[in-house]
Amino acid sequence: MRVVIGEDEALLRHGLQLVLEGGGFEVVAAASDAVELERAVGLHLPELVITDIRMPPSHSDEGLRAALRLRAKHPEIAVVVLSQHMQSRYAKELLSSSNGKVGYLLKQRIADVDTFLGQLRDVAAGGMALDPDVVALMVARAKRSNGAIRELTPRQQEVLALMAEGRSNSRIAAELFLSEKAVVQHTSRIYDSLNLALDGESHRRVLAVMHYLSDN
Amino acid sequence: MAKKAPRLKLARSLDRSLVVIFVAGLSLAAMEWALLPVAGPIGHVMMLFPVVTVVYLLAGVRAWHRRPGNRLGALILFGGFAVFLGGMGNGDIPVFVAASTIGATLILAVIVHMLHAFPSGRLKGRLSKVTVSAAYMNSLLLQAPGYLFRTDPAAPFLFIADSPSVAALARMLQVWVGVVVMAATAFVLIRRLVQADPGQRRVLIPLFAYGSLAALFVPLSTQVLTPLLGMNMESQAALQLMVLGGIPIAFGHGMLRGGFAKTGELEELGSWLGASGGTRSALAAALVRALGDPTATLSFWLPRQGVFVNEDGTPVPSVAQSTNRGQEEIMVGSRKVGAIGYDTTVIEDPALIRAAGQVVAIAVDRERLTVELRESYGALQRSRERLVDAADRERRRIARDLHDGLQMQLVLLALEAQQLAKSPGSDAGTVERATHLRRGIDSAAAELRQLVHAVMPAALIERGLAAAAEDLIDRMPIPTTLELELDDGSCPSAVERTAYFVLAEALSNALKHSHATQIQVQLKIVEGWLHMEVCDDGTGGADLLAGTGIRGIGDRVDVQGGFFELASAPGEGTRIKVELPCA
Repeated sequence: MRVVIGEDEALLRHGLQLVLEGGGFEVVAAASDAVELERAVGLHLPELVITDIRMPPSHSDEGLRAALRLRAKHPEIAVVVLSQHMQSRYAKELLSSSNGKVGYLLKQRIADVDTFLGQLRDVAAGGMALDPDVVALMVARAKRSNGAIRELTPRQQEVLALMAEGRSNSRIAAELFLSEKAVVQHTSRIYDSLNLALDGESHRRVLAVMHYLSDN
Repeated sequence: MAKKAPRLKLARSLDRSLVVIFVAGLSLAAMEWALLPVAGPIGHVMMLFPVVTVVYLLAGVRAWHRRPGNRLGALILFGGFAVFLGGMGNGDIPVFVAASTIGATLILAVIVHMLHAFPSGRLKGRLSKVTVSAAYMNSLLLQAPGYLFRTDPAAPFLFIADSPSVAALARMLQVWVGVVVMAATAFVLIRRLVQADPGQRRVLIPLFAYGSLAALFVPLSTQVLTPLLGMNMESQAALQLMVLGGIPIAFGHGMLRGGFAKTGELEELGSWLGASGGTRSALAAALVRALGDPTATLSFWLPRQGVFVNEDGTPVPSVAQSTNRGQEEIMVGSRKVGAIGYDTTVIEDPALIRAAGQVVAIAVDRERLTVELRESYGALQRSRERLVDAADRERRRIARDLHDGLQMQLVLLALEAQQLAKSPGSDAGTVERATHLRRGIDSAAAELRQLVHAVMPAALIERGLAAAAEDLIDRMPIPTTLELELDDGSCPSAVERTAYFVLAEALSNALKHSHATQIQVQLKIVEGWLHMEVCDDGTGGADLLAGTGIRGIGDRVDVQGGFFELASAPGEGTRIKVELPCA
């Protein structure tokens, strides 16, 4: 899979490149600021873009803005945004820019290489990946303001949170020590309570998360 | 505010004198009306002489009454006399005809005098004095050969000897002196226009233009109007008189519109001070009124700092030499206590300012102490703002250093531990220990994230108060509601930072000490003020003096010029209310 990286710290850029190449990804370009990143993406049209949020010149949210522009311009390219800290507002902006093909993860997650690479592949395949940290923030807010979410049982809320992180049913089952069948039951009840139309499975997951966020 | 000052003895005396002058002037005009052939064939022109005289009389008396310290009023009255004199030549009483012949062109010199003396009524600079003297000489002395050495049909009794060549020479000389006088006048006026500020220019340009044109029109109209327009003598004379009649109106109006408020006597200022106690703003206002200069300023001397400050305690810049600003120091004995700044184009005589300074000196000295206090309060406030700012800057720097340095190091270390775990040939024990190491590094990184967030949250820097407050509430472990009515970046960043840290402190207090089960937060902007309210249902009993945290909240809010209120009766929860100015 062809990837373009955006990261201003040389050491981390190099580390990330090694991790990706070790996982069978082909890094076609590695940019050190947002302008260079957008140019490289336009040039190489990769399948996946991975970018830091904080980048020169303003060291603010340059990377996020670049990611949003890329999503609008090239909807077929998946974008994973990395950051040292999580903000629910950034997650919301990213998610409202698309139906899937986005990820928002803590940089620290890179070190859990297998999980990280798995999430990248999920996103590239049309899914999504949200960091547990930001999902926790969103669950907290949804509980405060969204009636539908509040009415879910605690177990269903846990399942929804893991879905938002982009986990598959089997992974959710393993995490919560449930049978996969029980997880399927929980998810269908969640769809019912949130009034989500029945549709392709992965698309419904994205919709569930979108709903989750759009009401906050 | 300032009471209307009572008219004092001296002022009432002036008023009475003006009434006498006015009545005398009216009598002269009435006499002229009676003596001139107003019923004759050119009666409508003859009538204009007394009418224009009365116009000068009204304008002059009004200007003198409104500004007793200004000589322009007297000058206008003198101009009225010159017009009166010019008219009397048309009668048939020999002594008046003689006087009229001698002073026939006096009015032109008076107009030049007015142009040079506006707005104070005093001549400023040697060039003006010489030019005006030349104008008077031209109109009185060089006029004389015309009736002394030539038979003037109007006043034959002034004739001494027949010498047409002397008369012609004097005539030519008069024209040339007139040209030089007008050129010098134009030079002086243009120079003044250049130095004037835009507000003054609006008054000066039309006035100078009209005055100069009038001074040129009256002598030149004979050469220009008659041949060009074929205007007869009567119409010409009528036009000249009407142009002259506009002069006192223009100067009188210009003087009053130019910001020359009614001037009281210094005596009035003194008595007013005694009555009012001379409160701060009233003192400066009374000074402005007394001096008739709306730009007059009062400043106070702070000997310790060696600077002049204004009423608010803000240092005032010293007067630059090139501008039209003048400054006179106010002394009590040999001690400097303050200064009066004024417009040198309005007030020509520094002695007037010095006299005013002596009147207000004691009040200024008393006021100086208050201003000194205000100045040191201002300095303290600025120092506090700098301290808060420096602290915030330091927080930002620490957060950035942790972010760029330590956090990245931890990612790389965790990556290395993971690679160790995955490297081929590692035994099971090594793999387990390396994975354990990575998890340890991850949890250290999580703690570091919290620390960085507490020091200076990225959301606050990148997006502003609303985003950062949402973030903070999302992380609360107990039910917390947030009512948000503001957009990101709607307040200055220093205010947003203050509000954020106050909110963080209030929430952490509620969590740590009050055993609250729920918290309500409200953030909104009402009429340029940021309102924040944090209520919990905990045990209450928070004390402003007990914890450094709450006191810190109060201090920070105070630095931003806001209000802080704490209600925390035992058993009734805690309510913290903060208001911060956003403008």
